[in-house]
Amino acid sequence: MARTIAGDRAAFGVLVERYSASVRRVARAVLADPDDADDAAQDALLATLVKLRQYDPQRPFGPWLMRVVANAAHDRRRRRKVRRTESLDSTVVAGGLDPEVETQRRALGRRLREALAQLPERRRLAVVLFDVEGYSHAEIGRILSIPEGTVRSEVFHARRALRALLAEWKEEV
Amino acid sequence: MTPEFTPFDHRPDPVLGAALRAALTADAETAFVARVLAGLQDRPQEYWEVLASWARTGITAVAAAGLLGGLLIGNWTAPASLDDVLAAGAGSSARVMVSSDHPPDASVVLASAEVR
Repeated sequence: MARTIAGDRAAFGVLVERYSASVRRVARAVLADPDDADDAAQDALLATLVKLRQYDPQRPFGPWLMRVVANAAHDRRRRRKVRRTESLDSTVVAGGLDPEVETQRRALGRRLREALAQLPERRRLAVVLFDVEGYSHAEIGRILSIPEGTVRSEVFHARRALRALLAEWKEEV
Repeated sequence: MTPEFTPFDHRPDPVLGAALRAALTADAETAFVARVLAGLQDRPQEYWEVLASWARTGITAVAAAGLLGGLLIGNWTAPASLDDVLAAGAGSSARVMVSSDHPPDASVVLASAEVR
């Protein structure tokens, strides 16, 4: 981190490599369109360099970065909505018309993304940050600027919806 | 999903987590990293100069702190000892105050302050 702040590009490269997968997943939890999500992920990683001044080295870097990513993805989604008046749900559903040509794994992935897209943005982020990225409720509360109890509630509702989908999927397969 | 996991569970659900991870993880990770770093190359002024300015600010701050510290040490004088005060003729009241077994009367203290 110190090397990145000092202007070491190689150090920044290491940082990007280490966090890019998580950053892209969190961006995809907000933006269903993969290109949009990658644009937001890139914006967030580049913005991180400028925002590093605000980072408190006493605190873990991951939650701080995820907050930057969530904000970047949220901003992009909002701008996109204003520009195209296109809903997230329609984008996802439009991409899932032909499940026969997909493998089971891909089909499940698509259905999960569809289910995620039907959840409120905050709920999506909460469950992805908790069950996929492994952040604590308290950390997610700081990332999303909401109380810890609200995080628990969001994770609870998201899990209930997603587990129901997974159970249906198991019955079908 | 996993029987032992309830929606209230405080632990991450590994099954749901793995399914979501698979659904959200994008491919071409190396290409994405290269793209981010290439984006950085396109905007060197916007980013690296900001960082460089912080580095300059940091160096300036360290230099200023060093200068201030040097000045403070240069101006610092050791506190006078009791013998120095008495030898300097601070007056009989000072001698009385420090040599008496009893606390000084308020008038003695005030008189001492007035003399100074």
